[in-house]
Parts: sequence; structure tokens; C-alpha cells
Amino acid sequence: MKSALKTVIASMALLAAAASAQNITSERLLNTEAEPGNWLLYHGDYNGQRHSDLTQITPENVGELELQWIWQQRSAAGASQKFEATPLYVDGVLYTVGAPNDVVALDARTGRVFWTWSYTPDTEARVCCGRVNRGLAIHGDTLFMGAIDGHLMALDAASGRLKWDISIGDPSLGYALTVAPLIIDDKIIVGPAGGEYGIRGFIAAYDVETGNELWRFNTIPGPGEPGFETWADPEQEAWKIGGGSVWTTGTYDPELNLMYWGIGNPGPDWNGDSRPGDNLYTESVVALDPDTGKLAWHYQYTTHDEMDYDSTQVQVLADIEFNGQPRKVLMTANRNGVFYVLDRTDGEFLLAEPFVAVNWVDGWDANGRPNMVRAPSPEGTFIMPNNQGATNWYSPSFSPVTGLFYVPSWLDTYSVYTKSPDGVQYIPGQNYVGLYPTMAMPALSVRPVNQRLPEEGIGAIQAIDPQTGNIVWRHEMANVTDSGVLSTASNLVFAGGREGYFYALNAATGEELWRVMLGGAIANGPMSFEMDGKQYIAVAGGSGLFVYALPDE
Amino acid sequence: MRLQSLSKPLLLLAATAIFSGAGHAQEHSYTPSDIEAGRGLYQANCLGCHGNTGSEVEGANLASGRFRRASSDEELIALVRTGIPGTLMIPRPQLSYGDLRSIVAFLRTMQTNGGVAGNDERDVAIGNPGRGEELFFGKAGCSECHGVGGGGSRLYADLASIGGQRSPAALEDAMLDPQKDVRIGQRFYQVTDNNGTVTQGLLLNQDTHSVQLLNTDEKLQSFLKQDLSEFKFIPTPMPSVLDVLSATEVADLVAYMISLKGE
Ligand code: HEC
Ligand code: HEC
Repeated sequence: MKSALKTVIASMALLAAAASAQNITSERLLNTEAEPGNWLLYHGDYNGQRHSDLTQITPENVGELELQWIWQQRSAAGASQKFEATPLYVDGVLYTVGAPNDVVALDARTGRVFWTWSYTPDTEARVCCGRVNRGLAIHGDTLFMGAIDGHLMALDAASGRLKWDISIGDPSLGYALTVAPLIIDDKIIVGPAGGEYGIRGFIAAYDVETGNELWRFNTIPGPGEPGFETWADPEQEAWKIGGGSVWTTGTYDPELNLMYWGIGNPGPDWNGDSRPGDNLYTESVVALDPDTGKLAWHYQYTTHDEMDYDSTQVQVLADIEFNGQPRKVLMTANRNGVFYVLDRTDGEFLLAEPFVAVNWVDGWDANGRPNMVRAPSPEGTFIMPNNQGATNWYSPSFSPVTGLFYVPSWLDTYSVYTKSPDGVQYIPGQNYVGLYPTMAMPALSVRPVNQRLPEEGIGAIQAIDPQTGNIVWRHEMANVTDSGVLSTASNLVFAGGREGYFYALNAATGEELWRVMLGGAIANGPMSFEMDGKQYIAVAGGSGLFVYALPDE
Repeated sequence: MRLQSLSKPLLLLAATAIFSGAGHAQEHSYTPSDIEAGRGLYQANCLGCHGNTGSEVEGANLASGRFRRASSDEELIALVRTGIPGTLMIPRPQLSYGDLRSIVAFLRTMQTNGGVAGNDERDVAIGNPGRGEELFFGKAGCSECHGVGGGGSRLYADLASIGGQRSPAALEDAMLDPQKDVRIGQRFYQVTDNNGTVTQGLLLNQDTHSVQLLNTDEKLQSFLKQDLSEFKFIPTPMPSVLDVLSATEVADLVAYMISLKGE
């Protein structure tokens, strides 16, 4: 009798929780550490650490994890469509996106569907590397999604009904949205992919209520804007089609009121002859004021890039001791194979250290300008890492507990980059790239078998000490990985790879504590949430979303 | 006569760069300059997804010479121009009809044209196919391993279509220096378990934790890497005929294999 009453009260409390579900205020987004059970932002927090404070699952009990449920997305995953979204968890509901743009609200307890909403992208949509979506954002009672045809949409989180839909760029010219939007205050902030199609990139803020554009920062500066001088072709045409795409979500420091976005490659990708100069702000991190879009500082990782090393990897923020001084740092493991630490207040260059075999750079000057020693050539140049890079969209993690930075890596790959002597012609809507580099390890292939030689490239989750850039441990896999990483306060790291294994590792040592075969490539970031006092781990593998927890006592 | 002395003056017949591909490709032959132009266009427009060998997109192996959505050259041209809605194959209206014809020439000959890297274009000696056949099934011992449209072992490639898939130079290389360029899918592997038992076989698959072989008894066998003291790729069992067969005999075998077009 007594316990039955308890149950009634408990379920009333649950109902109450569900009722408040669709009220994600700016305050809640600013204070995510106060509710570690929820996962309210693409990275979990504004700082991009992908670190969960939940501690029910520990190194001691992680071996007992049990599958709770699986949800299969509508369209099968494959080379064209990977399941790259990180779900949001909001008070009992998991929101995620199946490729390309199918939104679903799932009952986190059972995996049953509350509602689905499918968007059919314009057939003009063109994306270089997959019809994918990395996830949603939520504000108030509204979800936001970018689509591969450059549409940005607001959906009612309770019903899945469309509230508004705007276009941020012409899909037939290559403008596409694959990024999970960033919400700051009452602004929704995104930038377009399309660096292989001669877009002119930007980051823009839109009003959460109306979709009206509030400000725009051009990632390729035009005449009169600072940085324009780094596009030095005499005809002054290159900047108009200079690339500078955006495809992973920025991070945000509310105290400094600065957000940090990594900017993609200049176009054409593999032949820079038509665009002499450094080509700002491609291959850079830009620190922007979210109220105005004004640039506070920038740092360029790869100058005048001809290797397509997009610097869009997550710019992870942490307050750590660096060289004995407390510092507000920004850390990133770049596709170009180098791990960087900067001071995020002013962009001061603190450290650069390769985390895989790298041969395009042999040092940095005091300001952090790389001394680049390789470039594509007519006869072909052997360059490490390969064109897909040492890492890519896969989210890294930083654990304030271990002080280590965890990065999914492709070890010791190479490409041969050949430059056509004829230059590259721009045709609207067509690839504006140059000659594709060769790769022993292909970018998109999701083959069911692996018969490659180890020297053609293998994958690893690596733990980097930000103080030195040294690799502290490395969990190797026989194939490469497109998986993100989650770390937890109980000293666990979760990540997987193309083979379909999903691992729990000891965050301090890299020791494997648990693994499961999901039967499809892991191409997204795992996340954790808590419901009814129980901690869950969610990860997508192949076309499915898999959710694990400890058994009930 | 020793094989190393095999040189251009001895050529009985110069191989031309004109091959007809497998299957439907036989409706046309393509000129070397078409194929060359197609190679450049392929590298500029297609390589990023379809890869050096054309086989990187699952379900769309361009090098197979067969296409799910097109059979004639004109259909292929239309397919590449209009793309495949809802996939990464976007329309390519900028490519002229001539460009598209070149790309098709390149695709149709991809099994023999060496893909993006191109073939070793050196001329090789091509002898008498009848004598080559005799050698293949007789003294040279090739048929102990390779079937031709059946026979032979599951461990080794059936060579029934090899003439439509490899250039003469590649066929000669395969006999003289078999370890130089072992094609993916034909690699051999060896595992040693913790008791010291050694197993060899054709590597079908492997991952971080396991190995799947077709073992030398032609049985499917798997291993957990945790139970192994060693696992590694090994040289393949294909013996080199260098120092074993004469240049004339090698040329005869090349001629025989060129004649194997799978019909
Ligand atoms: C952005 C990646 C990408 C690029 C670049 C690309 N393709 Fe494709 N292609 C694909 C994918 C993915 C498919 C399979 C579509 C499906 O079936 O889902 C495909 C399919 C095809 C097919 C159909 C195969 C069949 O069996 O029907 C042909 C032919 C083809 N591609 C040729 C080309 C050519 C020629 C080029 C260069 C002009 C090219 N592709 C460039 C991704 C690409
Ligand atoms: C002991 C078994 C064995 C014998 C005998 C043998 N081969 Fe092979 N052959 C192989 C193996 C294994 C491969 C694949 C690995 C490699 O290329 O080294 C191969 C590959 C080949 C290939 C390349 C196939 C491809 O798909 O590219 C050709 C051509 C070939 N053999 C021809 C011959 C000829 C001609 C003879 C006789 C002179 C011969 N082989 C004798 C085992 C054998």
C-alpha cells in the first residue's frame, strides 16, 4: 500500500518534469553544470568538453552495462548517409536526427517514438562528403535544425510542428547546413558547409522567434574588411568564391562573452595559385562577440592551405594551469595533425605539437606562424597526414578530472597531392577543388571487410597532455575511426570506430574496460544522460541509436 | 635464355594500349588518348569518392565494368551528367559530351588501365597462346593453384577473365615478381596461437579483436587476437617464374592469359 502510493507520487513528479520539459531558458543553457542529467547542447556544454559529471557508471561496474533499447533511423546508413548526430536529452525526451534530415523525439525510457518530422531537402542540395546532420539545438520550446539544402528550421519540441523555415544560402551554389546550431541567448548561430563548391563562407546569427538575420561575420573578408589583403590575386576575384565553410559547432565562454569557431578550407582546395596570400579566415579559429558578430581575435592554423585541412574541429575551452599559471585556454586537435593550445582571451599562441605523423610543417615562430615545407606539385607531393586528416568532424573530449584531451585519430596516413598546371575553373554549383589527392585510406568507404595493410592507416583514440602535447596513452584500432569521444567524471572515456566496436576505456590509462559490437560504423559523438536516477550512455552505430545502462538491482 | 635479358628487341608483338573492357564495354574500343583524358577528368571530378581503383563506394564498383543503372555508353554518359538524385552523385552539367565520353572510356577500361595511377605502359613480349595454355596446365604448374572457369583452389584467383582485367605488363609482373603488387583480396595472413600452432590462409577480414581466414584447407576459420601470440601478413604462395621459365615461355603464358576474356 505504502509503496504503491510512493509510485503514484513518483509518477506525478515525473509528469511535472515532463510538463516543464519544453522550457529551455538561456539561464539553463548557461548553467548546464547544475543539471548534469540533461544534455542540452550539441557538445553537452558551451565549453565543448563533452565531459559528463554523471558518476553512476564507474570503471568498476562499466563491465555490467546492458542494452536498454535500440532505435533504427528511417534511411539506411551508408557511404552517402552516416548517422552523425549527437542527441539532445531534455527532461525525459531524446531528440535526434536521422540522415539526412529526419527529426525524431524519442521516449528515453523505452526508445518509442513521440513524434517524427521528416524534411525533404531540395534536390539541388549538394554536399561534398555525405548527406548528414550533426544534430539539433533547443531554446524555449523550440528545436532548431539546419538541412543539407541550406534551410534553417524551427520546430515545436512538443509536437514536431514547423514554426519557421528560412534559407541561408542557395543550395545549387553549394550552400549546405550539416552543423548542429549554437544557441546563445535569443540567437541561433550557424554557418554553411560548401568549401568544395566555391561558396563565400560566413557565420550568422538569427532571431530564435522569427529567423530574421541579426548579424553576419564573413569568414572571407571583402573589400574594406580587415584580412581582405590576404586575398592578393590582382583581379580581386578569388575572395568571392574563397570557401571558408563551417561544419562543426562553435564553443562559447560566457564570462569573456566570446565564441570560438573553426573555419574550413580555402577554395579551390588543392591549388592555391589563383588565391595568393594567407587567405584569412580560412583554416583559422575566430573569436567573435555573439551580440554583434565582431571579431575579437583570430589565429590561423594552416596558412595558404592547399591540403584541404579545414580547421573546423571543435575549439575546446578549459581553465587549467599552464606552465604553472592559471590560464583560460582553447585547445584543438586539428585535421592538419597538430594539437594546439592558445590563450582564449587574446589568441596568444602557447603550444603546437603533432599528434600523428606530420611532414608539412617543421616548426612555428614565436607568434605561432607555421613554417610550411610541403605543398602540392605537378609531379605529386607526398604529404602526411592524408586529405581526410588526422581527425575531422568527430568530437574530441577534455576531462577536467584527468586533465587529458582525448582525440579520435587516423594514425600516420598520407596523400599524394598533385597540382594541375592548368589551374581550376569556377563553374557555379560545381566542385571547385583541383585534383583530388590519392589516399590509401579512403574518406567515405564503409566497407564490411578490412584487408588493408596496417601501413595504409589505422585508427586510435589518443589521450594528449595539454601541458606538453605528449601522447599519454593510445587505444589503437585495426581500422580508422569517425567516432566522437565522451569522458565522464568517474574516469571513463567512451568512443568507438568504423569497425563498429564501442568501448569504455579508463580515462587515465586507456585500459579497455568494456566493449560491444554495434554492427555498423560509429560516426557520431556518444553522450550521457540521467533519467529516474539512472545513468544512460547513448551512441549511434550504423543506422541505429543504442542506449546502455547498468542493470536494475 | 634468362628472363632478365627479355628486352624490347625480342618483342614478338607490341602490346597496344587499346583494351576492351569486360561485359558491355565490348561495344566500343577506346583510344589511348580518350582513356588518358578520362583519367585526368576522373581525378578532377570523381576520385574523391570513388577512389583510385573505382571500388570505394559500396554498391557502385566502377571498375567492375557493370553498372546497376546504365548499360550502354550513352546511358552511362547520361547518368554521370544528370547524377543520381538523393545521393552524393550530383549532376555535372559542366562536363561536355566529349569530356563525358572520355570519362566513360576511362571507366570502361578501368580494370586494365591501371586506374588513376595508370599502368606500367612498357611493352612486353607476347608469345603463342596455344603453347602458353600447354605450359599453364603442364610444366609451369599454374593450374595446380589457379582455375580457369572452374578447377583450381578457392584460395587463388580464377583466371577466367584475367585478360580483360590486367594489362600485358601487369600479367608479366604477376609472374616475375608476385610479391610486388598483391591485390587487395588476394593477401595472405599467418596467425600463431599461444600454443605455437601456426595457421595460414587467405585474409578475408580482420578487426581489432579477430581474424577471419580461408585457411589452407579451404575452410573458413576465425581467431580471436587475444588467443594469438602473433598475427601478420605474409608473402603469398605464388612462386616467381624468374630463373624457372625462359623468356619465350613467359611470353607464351602472357599470350594465353590475354586470351582469357571470360566468355
Ligand atoms: C561526392 C562523392 C561522389 C563523387 C565526387 C562522384 N560520385 Fe559517383 N557515386 C557516388 C555515390 C555515393 C554513388 C552511389 C549512389 C547510390 O547508389 O546510392 C555513385 C554512383 C555512381 C555511378 C553508378 C554506379 C552504378 O552501378 O549504377 C556511376 C557510374 C558513377 N557514380 C560515376 C561517377 C563519375 C564518373 C564521377 C565523376 C565525374 C563520380 N561518380 C563522382 C558518389 C560520388
Ligand atoms: C602455389 C600457388 C600458385 C601457383 C603455382 C601459381 N600462382 Fe599465380 N597466384 C597465386 C597467388 C597466391 C596469387 C595472389 C597473390 C599475388 O599476386 O602474389 C596469384 C596471383 C596471380 C596473378 C595475378 C592475379 C590478379 O588478379 O591480378 C596472375 C596473373 C597469376 N597468379 C598467374 C599465374 C601463372 C601464369 C602461374 C604459372 C606460371 C601461376 N600464377 C602459378 C598462387 C599461385
